[in-house]
Amino acid sequence: MDIEQYIKDIKIKFPKIIDAEVVNTKRLMIYIPKSSLLQIAEYLFKYLAYRYIIVTAMDSKEGYEIIYHFSDDSSGWIVNLNVMLDRDKPEIESLTPVVYGVEWIEREIMDLLGITFLNHPKPERFLFAEDWPEGKYPLRRDYVEEE
Amino acid sequence: MGFKEKCFKKSLWVFHMSAGSCNNCDIEILDCLTPKFDIERFGMKLVGSIRHADVLLVTGIVTRKLLPRIKEVYDQAPKPIVVIAIGACACTGGMFKDSYTFKGPLDTVIPVDAYVPGCPPKPEAMLAGVVKFLNKK
Amino acid sequence: MGKKTLVPLGPYHPLLEEPEFFKLYCDGEIVKEVIWETGYNHRGIEKLCQSKTFEQVFYVVERICGICSTSHPFAYANAVESIPGVEIPERAKYIRSIVGELERVHSHLLWVGLAGHFLGYNTVFMWAWKYREPVLDMFEIITGNRNSYAMFTIGGVRRDISPEQAAQLLKVLDEVERKTTLLVGAVMDDPVIHARLKGVGILTAEDIHDFGAVGPTARASGVDIDVRRDDPYAAYDMIDWKVITANDGDVFAKAEVRLLEMYESISIIKQCLEALKKTEAGDIKVKVKEIPPGIGIGHAEAPRGEVFHFVKSDGGNSPVRHKIRAPSFTCIPTFRRSCVGGTISDAAIATAAVDPCYCCTERMSHVYDYTTGKHIMSAAELIKLSQEKTKNLKAKLKV
Ligand code: SF4
Repeated sequence: MDIEQYIKDIKIKFPKIIDAEVVNTKRLMIYIPKSSLLQIAEYLFKYLAYRYIIVTAMDSKEGYEIIYHFSDDSSGWIVNLNVMLDRDKPEIESLTPVVYGVEWIEREIMDLLGITFLNHPKPERFLFAEDWPEGKYPLRRDYVEEE
Repeated sequence: MGFKEKCFKKSLWVFHMSAGSCNNCDIEILDCLTPKFDIERFGMKLVGSIRHADVLLVTGIVTRKLLPRIKEVYDQAPKPIVVIAIGACACTGGMFKDSYTFKGPLDTVIPVDAYVPGCPPKPEAMLAGVVKFLNKK
Repeated sequence: MGKKTLVPLGPYHPLLEEPEFFKLYCDGEIVKEVIWETGYNHRGIEKLCQSKTFEQVFYVVERICGICSTSHPFAYANAVESIPGVEIPERAKYIRSIVGELERVHSHLLWVGLAGHFLGYNTVFMWAWKYREPVLDMFEIITGNRNSYAMFTIGGVRRDISPEQAAQLLKVLDEVERKTTLLVGAVMDDPVIHARLKGVGILTAEDIHDFGAVGPTARASGVDIDVRRDDPYAAYDMIDWKVITANDGDVFAKAEVRLLEMYESISIIKQCLEALKKTEAGDIKVKVKEIPPGIGIGHAEAPRGEVFHFVKSDGGNSPVRHKIRAPSFTCIPTFRRSCVGGTISDAAIATAAVDPCYCCTERMSHVYDYTTGKHIMSAAELIKLSQEKTKNLKAKLKV
C-alpha cells in the first residue's frame, strides 16, 4: 500500500478530514470530525471491505477520544478513525447501523466512560452489576473508588 | 476430627463454581477428571448441580455482579458442605485485588474450609489439598 | 406465529469450564433469537493495567484468559515494542513462536475434547485431554508452569530453550502428531459426526464481515485471514507454513480447520527448533530503557483468532490507556446468526463451535446466575438433548 498516495486520495474524497498521519509501522491514524464518522466508516467498511476490529475510547487531556480500528488484511495496515468529543457533552452517533458488530463495544463504552451513542438499538447496561451506582465511570480521570 | 471431616469419609461429589476467574484454575480442575489424574477412581465426581454436592470448589475473584449469586449458591447447598478456595484469586484476590469490581476474598463472603493457593495450582496440589483436609485431626 | 418459549442455555454447563448464560427464545424446536448476558466476569483489567508498569502488565494480561496465556502477552509485546521500535533478537523470535504454537496445539486439543463431550462422545473428550497432558508437561519443562507461562518480556523472552529441552520437545511433538492423526481419523470418517455437524450453525462470509469475526471461525467460512501471515510478527515470516481454510462455514468445517491447523503448528515448531540451532544460545533479550510517548497497536493470532492490544504511552512508567480486544468479543455475537433457525439440540454445539472464551470477552471471568436454580438443570438437559440426538442418529445409521 502506497501510504502517501492513500492519504492524499482519502483527503480528497473526504475534505472534512482534519488530519492523517502514520503513527507507527503500518498504523495510520485519521482524525475526523464526529459529523463525518458514519460516512467515512461506511466507505472503509463497506466499500474497501476492511475488517472491523474494535473501538477504543479514552479520557484524554483534550476530551473524550474515540478510536475506531479497521484492518486491511490484504496489506496488514490498521486504519484508525479518531474522533474527539467534547467533555461537556459526550455524544456521538452510533455506528451500529453501518457495522453490525459494534453494538456490544458501544454498550461497554457507555458503561465504562459514560459516552452516549445516539440511535443505538439497545442502549442498556452491558457489564456492570445491577447495583452499580449511576454516573460512576471507572475509566474517567475523575473516578474515585467508593468506600 | 471435626464434624465436617466425619461427614465426608466416603465418595465426594464436587460442584465447581467459577467466579471471576481466568479459566486456568477451572481447566486444571477439569484436568483432574481426565485420564492422567483421574480423580474418579477415588469416587470423586463433578456434578451438575450444587444441590447434589458435598464439596464446593470456587475459583476466581468475587466480582460485584457475582457477589449475590455466590451467596445464593452457597445457601442452596445441602449442609454441611466443604468450601475450597482454589487459586490465588479466590484465596486473596491475587493480582486483581485493586480492581474496581473486586469485592473481597472469598472468605469474607462465605465460610471457607480449605485454601489451595497457586496461580493456577497444579492438579496434584488440588488433590493434596483435599486429602489434607480430610486427614485433618 | 406460535408461542415463544425461553430456554436458558447455561449459566452452567456441567463440564464446560466456564459458566455462560444464553437465553434462547424458541418456537417449538426452532431457535428464534439468542440473547447473551454478560458482565459476571468483569474484572476491570484494562483499568488495572493502567496502574501497573509496562513490565508488570505482561503478567496481568496473561491472566485475562488461562488458555490464551501466550496470545495476550504476544499482542501486548507487539504493541509496546512498536512504540520505541525495538527489534528483538532472532532467537527470541523463534522462542516466542514456539510457545505461541505450542499453545495453539493445546488449545485446539482442548476444544476437540469439549466438542466431543457436547456430542456425547466422551471417549473423544478423555482422549483429547489425555494427549494434551504431554504438551502441558512440555510447557512446564520449558517455562516452569503448566499454564500462565510468564515467558515474555519487553525486548525478548525470559528463558532460553536448551538443546536437551528441544530434543524432548521434538519427541513430544512426534507423539502428538501421531495422536492428532488418530483424532482426525476419528472425526473425519465418522458418519455420525458428519450427520451431526454438517450443515449445522452455518456462517457465511458476509456474517463474518458484519461481526468482524476472526480466527478459525472466519477461516471455516472461507475468509482467508490470519494475522501471522497478513501482518507478520515474531518468526512467522521466516518459516514455511500455510493458512488452513474451509468453505462450508458449518461446525464441521470449524472442526476441520482446527484439526488441520494442529499439523501446521507442529511443523512450525519443528522448523523453529531447527532454526534455534543456528542462533547463539543466550541471546534472548535486548534492553529497553524506556517507552517514549506514542501509540502502539499490536495484534497476534491466538488459537481463537486475532487478539488486539492498543497501548498509549505518555512517556511515564505505565500505559495511560490499554485497550484489549479478545477474539471471542467479535465471535460470540455470531451466535445470533448461527443458532437462529436451527433446532435447540444443535444450539449447544453451534455455540461451542467458535470456542467461546468468556474470560477474554469481559476481560475478567464467569457467569453464575442464581435466578437460574432450575436453569442449571436445563443446561444439563440441553447437552443431554444433544447427546441423545447423536444416539438416535447412531441407531439410524446402525453404527
Ligand atoms: S488464581 Fe491465577 S490461574 Fe487461578 S483464576 Fe486466578 S489468575 Fe487465573
